[in-house]
Amino acid sequence: MSKDVLVVKDLNMHYETLSGDVSAVKNVSFTVKEGESFGLVGESGCGKTSVAMSLLQLQADNAKISSGSIKLDGLEMVGMSESELREVRWDGISIVFQGAMNAWNPVIKVGEQIREAIREHYPDNTKVENTEKIASLFKMVGLDSSIMDRFPHELSGGMKQRAVIALALSCDPKLVIADEPTTALDVVIQDQILKEIKKVQELLGLSLIYISHDIAVIAEMTDKMAVMYAGSIVEKGPTSEIFANPQHSYTQSLLASTPSVVGDKVKLNSLEGEPPSLINQIDGCSFAPRCPNRTTTCHPELDMELVEVGPEHFVDICSANRN
Amino acid sequence: MLEYIIRRTFQMTIVFFLFLIFSYLLFNAIPGNAFSSLLLNPNLPPDAYQRVLEIYGLDKPLFERTQMYIVNFFKGDFGYSYKYFPKTPIELIAERLPRTLMLFSIVNIVAFYTGFFIGKVLAWRRGSKAETWITVTSVFSYTVFYPWFALMMLWVFGYKLGWLPIGKFLFPEKWYDAPFDSDVVFTSMIKFTVVVSVIQFIAYLVTRGIESLSLRRNLRFGSLLAIFIGSYFYWNNGEALIQKPYASDIAYHMILPVMVVTVVAFAGTALLTRTTMMEVLKEDYILTARAKGISQKRIRDRHAARTALLPVVTSFIFTIVTIIDGSVLTEQIFSWPGMGQLLLQSVLEEDIPVAMATFSFVGVFALIAHLLADVSYSYLDPRIRIKSQG
Ligand SMILES: Nc1ncnc2c1ncn2[C@@H]1O[C@H](COP(=O)(O)OP(=O)(O)OP(=O)(O)O)[C@@H](O)[C@H]1O
Ligand SMILES: [Mg+2]
Repeated sequence: MSKDVLVVKDLNMHYETLSGDVSAVKNVSFTVKEGESFGLVGESGCGKTSVAMSLLQLQADNAKISSGSIKLDGLEMVGMSESELREVRWDGISIVFQGAMNAWNPVIKVGEQIREAIREHYPDNTKVENTEKIASLFKMVGLDSSIMDRFPHELSGGMKQRAVIALALSCDPKLVIADEPTTALDVVIQDQILKEIKKVQELLGLSLIYISHDIAVIAEMTDKMAVMYAGSIVEKGPTSEIFANPQHSYTQSLLASTPSVVGDKVKLNSLEGEPPSLINQIDGCSFAPRCPNRTTTCHPELDMELVEVGPEHFVDICSANRN
Repeated sequence: MLEYIIRRTFQMTIVFFLFLIFSYLLFNAIPGNAFSSLLLNPNLPPDAYQRVLEIYGLDKPLFERTQMYIVNFFKGDFGYSYKYFPKTPIELIAERLPRTLMLFSIVNIVAFYTGFFIGKVLAWRRGSKAETWITVTSVFSYTVFYPWFALMMLWVFGYKLGWLPIGKFLFPEKWYDAPFDSDVVFTSMIKFTVVVSVIQFIAYLVTRGIESLSLRRNLRFGSLLAIFIGSYFYWNNGEALIQKPYASDIAYHMILPVMVVTVVAFAGTALLTRTTMMEVLKEDYILTARAKGISQKRIRDRHAARTALLPVVTSFIFTIVTIIDGSVLTEQIFSWPGMGQLLLQSVLEEDIPVAMATFSFVGVFALIAHLLADVSYSYLDPRIRIKSQG
């Protein structure tokens, strides 16, 4: 049994805004094991990026982690000082941001920006060592090593994205978070980048958290997954298990709204309604107002809680009780 | 790049040519001339005035004079001063220039660095009480009526407190038995400043390539220390030792003008830096830099301030030009006998050759500053570098 790299327990995070607190992360718990690829899926605004930012303690100034714990390799990260965090960042957890195209400072050479990260965490490396390291990273993600001396604006979107992946790997992190790393790219490049990430992940035995709103991508990329809705995880478990046997109504709707390329033509099922505003306190099942298969055995009034329905397969109590 | 500079130089020559013609015509549009007062002198023979005009060529028609002036100008002949006859404008400028250069180069460097530093700290400390107060102060000093402010400072520091000298650039009584001219001292002060900056710059360039950040910092600190020790020995040995008391006398006189002009000039840079930097801080690459675990100071200086520098440098180079014009005012208020005073006096006395020469000097300076702004901009922003090369 491989060990746990990241253990998140009952994480709560909210943004303080003028119109009230936005609860973006509610009682989120999950575990990522060594060498495992973990998917986080959910529609836009459900709090995926908020989870990722909390993991790095890089949340916006108005964000507050009110309770919960984040343990990286057994080390508690909530409440760490800035200097302790600086050591954990990139060396422990690195991230490919959602808008990764803008991740490069326009006036500094790409290689230099990677070098800077390595230098911070491996101050004793020589210049040559670092150059070799960057060149090998570039090779791994399919870039020529001459890209090092280029400025970001001289690269295409796809190249920038590959370079961002190289950057994320530069300090041999224990965990890499990829937050919708392919959103700004065209489909062909998207596919290439996904393959690249998958390849690198398997090659290096990386622990990876892959965030996406596209459940098909999650299926391709991950071993385990969690489905998020309105700030909470409503279902989690092994990816194959969830695809074979989705329990939560929201997961079922997500799966039904994804076209399958092979197989027969089916009518796509799209969800009615809007996700609830996160400013208001939600009692009971947050998905109930939109739930397409509510039955009399549903208990939307029960406080949300994950219960085990299969091996390592958890689902919200409301849907779990239904069958 | 070279091609671009050549093209720009060509354009600048044309602009300068037009500038010369128009300024010459404008100076001649002032009613009367430098010798009008001769007419009022009853002791002179009536044709004396005519004779003087003939000698200086002022009896010729304006068109012909303009033509002659321009041709001679490009031959390097700027004529003679009407006022200080045997002296040429070049001699006058050569005497005044070091004084202005010394004062204003120091003012510029100090103002830019304080402005840039304060601006970036303001943006970084967004929302703190200190930020609010310093911003308000900067807006005040940016908008204050400069002559009033300068006179107030003179009054406070020179008269009320008596800490600093009022006006002049030296105590004449100290210089009675000086073995040399003040220019000599000025020149060696400028040389010293230039050498120090060059050494500092080279130290920066050399250490740039060093991978270890702590070693880099220590070496830079070491170079600074070396410069301090070196300066100490320089000013306590040989020629410089003799000049030292005189140089420090000049430095003492410079404190107040440097302070006043800096207070007025830094604010523009500070406010602009603050605004651009606040924009930059919202960028994703700042978040990436933070995620990389880089130190706050390095994010501020290397990522945020470096990118925010672009518009700041440009606007600063343009203000350098206005500071030269502003030297007329400053030098008048602080009785600093530099280029600004020379320009003002020569215009008032209609000493056209001198006025023209100083004026064209300022013009050339402005043109070069603009070229410098463009070149430095393309150096600072790699996205522009490509375009101007192609
Ligand atoms: N700085 C902030 N201040 C206030 N509210 C915020 C802030 N950042 C995010 N939010 C809110 O928190 C909620 C979760 O946002 P988050 O960015 O985590 O969503 P997401 O799942 O990553 O969405 P997407 O798929 O569009 O990236 C949203 O409702 C958003 O409006
Ligand atoms: Mg997001």
